[in-house]
Amino acid sequence: MVVISWLWKNYVRPFRMKMFGAMFLVVITSILAIIGPLIIGEIVDRVFYNGELDALLPLLILMIVLVFARMTITWCFRMIFETFSQDATCQLRRDMYVKLHEMDFDYFSAHKVGDIMAKMTGDVETVRHFIAWVVYSLFENFMWLSLSLVVLFSIDALLTFTLILVVPIIGFFATRLVKEVRPTFADIRESFSTLNSVVAENIGGNRVVKAFARENHEVEKFQKQNLDFRAKNLTSAGVWAKYLPVLDSLSGTLGVVVILVGGLFVINDRISIGELAVFNGFLWMLAVPMRMFGWLLNDLQRCQASLEKIKEMLEVKPKIPLSNVDVNEDVAVKGFVEFKNVSFHFEDDDSIAVLKNVSFKTQPGETVGILGETGSGKSTLVSLISRFYDAVEGEVLVDGKNVKDWNARQLRDCISTVMQDVFLFSDTTAANIAFANTNADMGRIKHVAQLADAHNFIEALSDGYDTIVGERGTGLSGGQKQRLSLARALLKDPSILILDDTTSAVDMETEYKIQQDLQKVGVDKTTFIIAHRVSSVKDADLILVLNKGEIVERGNHESLMAEGGYYATVYNEQIGLGGGE
Amino acid sequence: MAETVKNKNTKVKRNTFNVDEELEDQLSVKDLKRVLDYVKPYRRQLLLALVVILIANFAALISPVLVQQAIDYAIPNADVGYLLILAAIFFVAVVVGGLCANYRIKNIAKIGQNALRDMRLDLFTHLQKLSFDFFDSRPHGKILIRVVNYINTLSDLLSNGLINLISDLFSLVIALGMMVFMDVRFTVFSLLFVPVLMFIALFIKNMQRKNFQTLSNKQSNMNAYIHESISGIRTSQSFVREKENTDVFDEVQTEYRSAWLRAIGAMFLMQPAVQNVQVLATALIYFLGAQAMGYEVSIGTVLAFIGLLGSFWGPIVNIGNFYNSLVTGSAYLERIFETMDETPGVMDAAGAKEMPPILGNIVFDQVRFGYEEKEILKGLTFDVESGEAIALVGPTGAGKSTIINLISRFYNINAGTIFIDGEDISQVTLHSLRSQMGVMLQDTFIFSGTIMDNIRYGKLDATEEEIIAAAKSVQAHDFISKMKDGYQTEINERGSNLSAGQRQLLSFARTLLADPKILILDEATASIDTKTEALLQTALDRLLEGRTSFIIAHRLSTIKNASRIFYINQGVLQEAGSHDELMDVEDGYYRKLYESQFARA
Repeated sequence: MVVISWLWKNYVRPFRMKMFGAMFLVVITSILAIIGPLIIGEIVDRVFYNGELDALLPLLILMIVLVFARMTITWCFRMIFETFSQDATCQLRRDMYVKLHEMDFDYFSAHKVGDIMAKMTGDVETVRHFIAWVVYSLFENFMWLSLSLVVLFSIDALLTFTLILVVPIIGFFATRLVKEVRPTFADIRESFSTLNSVVAENIGGNRVVKAFARENHEVEKFQKQNLDFRAKNLTSAGVWAKYLPVLDSLSGTLGVVVILVGGLFVINDRISIGELAVFNGFLWMLAVPMRMFGWLLNDLQRCQASLEKIKEMLEVKPKIPLSNVDVNEDVAVKGFVEFKNVSFHFEDDDSIAVLKNVSFKTQPGETVGILGETGSGKSTLVSLISRFYDAVEGEVLVDGKNVKDWNARQLRDCISTVMQDVFLFSDTTAANIAFANTNADMGRIKHVAQLADAHNFIEALSDGYDTIVGERGTGLSGGQKQRLSLARALLKDPSILILDDTTSAVDMETEYKIQQDLQKVGVDKTTFIIAHRVSSVKDADLILVLNKGEIVERGNHESLMAEGGYYATVYNEQIGLGGGE
Repeated sequence: MAETVKNKNTKVKRNTFNVDEELEDQLSVKDLKRVLDYVKPYRRQLLLALVVILIANFAALISPVLVQQAIDYAIPNADVGYLLILAAIFFVAVVVGGLCANYRIKNIAKIGQNALRDMRLDLFTHLQKLSFDFFDSRPHGKILIRVVNYINTLSDLLSNGLINLISDLFSLVIALGMMVFMDVRFTVFSLLFVPVLMFIALFIKNMQRKNFQTLSNKQSNMNAYIHESISGIRTSQSFVREKENTDVFDEVQTEYRSAWLRAIGAMFLMQPAVQNVQVLATALIYFLGAQAMGYEVSIGTVLAFIGLLGSFWGPIVNIGNFYNSLVTGSAYLERIFETMDETPGVMDAAGAKEMPPILGNIVFDQVRFGYEEKEILKGLTFDVESGEAIALVGPTGAGKSTIINLISRFYNINAGTIFIDGEDISQVTLHSLRSQMGVMLQDTFIFSGTIMDNIRYGKLDATEEEIIAAAKSVQAHDFISKMKDGYQTEINERGSNLSAGQRQLLSFARTLLADPKILILDEATASIDTKTEALLQTALDRLLEGRTSFIIAHRLSTIKNASRIFYINQGVLQEAGSHDELMDVEDGYYRKLYESQFARA
């Protein structure tokens, strides 16, 4: 129930006026629903037993008008419920969406896309159903129950009391049901989420699946989860099958009680036969809520299971808060970057030191080249500058200030990173380049595209700058994707530019062109270049060679060549091969 | 084989999250038959469940009769014995109803879940047959929602919905029969209202149908946007795009919200429609009953008939609801069937045979490929001997990746023929062809699961030793053994906890484990450092022996080692020969490329 009150406080309460208004309408319809049988009682007593035929027509018209009014009001309040439940869940989904942007990278390593998708779609939908339907049904059934009790009591207290005897028994079974069914819902949820992930991964990896002709294997993998999902649903249904009939039968016995006890009361002249008919007419008002009770508990449980997942996600405290410090408008990042004895390891694996005691310092406008073996920590090093992770030991300083003391948004806004894994959105090429600034004009977009040597190939695409790129940039070659993402990074005119293996899939001639362009625009930018080709880094002011997280060599091209270490070996290897035999 | 008609590739415009997908086929009656086909295998269980439900319905229908008996005879006559008997029968009916419900819930859940399982499997299996174009031309979130969410929405329709429909139809017939038995005239008057109701229902349906189609589109758009946002979250975070993204999301959500409200508003009209018609019908019977009372029919009969009216209209209300959910569900069904009916761009030709074990001779004969507006390959011809290593070079966009995609027949060519060992590859089965090839694509895709499982993808029955040997041969063993759990280390989705170079090494190991006869490397080592690559190269030289290979690379060392270099430009082969041969060509393309690119380093 904690989650329900959380839901109420944060998402439903703002719409309480609408909700109470709608509930008021529910009260009206419930009363109207009760008047219906009363009219029938009147008709039976007055028209059929007393022969007052004149009373028939007005009573019938009243009955018709009542139903019409009740239906109209019902439509209205259901729409009100739908409207504000949409408002509430849109807000909920929006909060989750915003939250995504505040989460640490770690979160996305630990949670699959399909899993987060399941939360934002399936779980939110369950909550919507709860607000729109369960809340109203609970209330309506409660209304019916209490109203019918009032009316039934007014007819005959003893008979009504006999009926109520069933209630505690229903309550007993209902609680048992809740206890047993609850874990099954959690299981279904989990299984759904995994199913989602399996399918999402298969769609994402469709090229590999085909390349290896592994369609059958994929189907097997899927079928395993498909069967699991089915099994989880059936387990849940099994619990239902056990309890629901009991609840149903118990509410069914109400009818038996009425004709038996009620019949005896009529025989004993305690009530009239008309009153018994009315009593019988009201019975559904008592029986339906009792029957519904189980279903509503079911939905309540389901909603709780989903809400717990949603709440858990919304309450994750990012280790790197985005607005820890107020933005200081006057201080633009100039581009001094300093690492002071920085060490780092990932949270889930402290056995491997990704960075060990890294120290270096750059001035604005300088270029730092980083070289090193696969997995030596190059990408991690640069991701500390944008504070995607926090150093475990030591400090990362930008303009002399620890990155932890910067407003993370402001800091990132001044840094452009071209990540190793280029991610392009399914949108036009122009929109992809203008990602950082949606208002950028075409001139600016074309300018940065030219700098990244992307202009020509974009123009050659079927719709030029309006060509829609597939999700993740499918349809473009690796080199094209890299150049597009470089253009995207340049559009922002950052103080610090980070290029993580940005030209690896670009041929050397193009790379040379890009380098020339970057030198022109890069005068005032601190640039970090991670590369495997020596040609990409050899003009850098400072070259760092990383090995297993440590800086093993540092200097410029000349000094490193003189040193004759890793850098010189790699250089010779590349140039040596380049020079022929 | 030149006379074989090759299809012309037409490039479909890519769909994005903010554009509704066009619907190619509206749902029709034949699709309903198709839905029923999913339930058909379980018709025995369905029939049994139906019998049980009929028993339950019969038990439920007895109660008004019992009430009538009580009010007409037992109570006025103060016949306590008879009253007790009636109550006892009533009680038995309730218990029987309960037992039936137990059976019903269990079995119907089973039928429904089985049908969904089958449908989901069919859809997923078909998805595996679809070619690159299908996946490339729409956001992945839109495909995902069809397999998972859309099918789930059908759960109720296929199980409870269907069986309720049948049982309601039965109840309706039984109620009708009893009504006729009690009073024919009243029955006729009651039936008068049914056509009125049908007319109204049809009107609502048209509105509802359109609204739900819009809704499913908006829902799909929203899902696609969420999916893409999560996938690209690192990029969004690094560009501090949360505000803009949230604005877009708000817009997408608002569209979804209003589509929902329109759809549900129409759906909610059904209940009032039925109830209003019902009350009119009931009022008429009261009126007629009052007129006829006393001299034609007894009070008890009138009251019992009115009681039966409830049993008559109840099923009609339910059938209305079923119709309602059918209309709703069809917006999802048509999308599911649309995907199932999507013809794969590339599929086995009729009578395709198995590709015999590949030796490695590859011939391109006047191969043309491209889209209507742009031809990429314009009559490409070459002949590669078994065991040769071919490096493809040429300017960006020349069609190098296209060539290697065509060897695995990822796309169909427009004209010409590709032969492997003399077999036209369009005439052999895709599975037998592709399973003998090792393709390392530009984008390395790593699955979630252990490192071991990822490498094993290349050969599902590989032993641990084989896997470790493969990892060793591509220089991946070192970094793998240093990881937390070695080969059992769990890899995140898409390998996000590995560096790009490590992912390439893993995918290399995976490819080699498959022991392919033809090896295709598309920028396979771009993110691997020079030192590792040098080691890898030695291993590779050994591994390439006896295999035909195609390599696209920007690194000179890789290119130089090839047996022959193909210079591709403007869709044709402009030069071919070894490095030394091509360097001797005065003003040759390759030589110029070489000079412009490598001399500078």
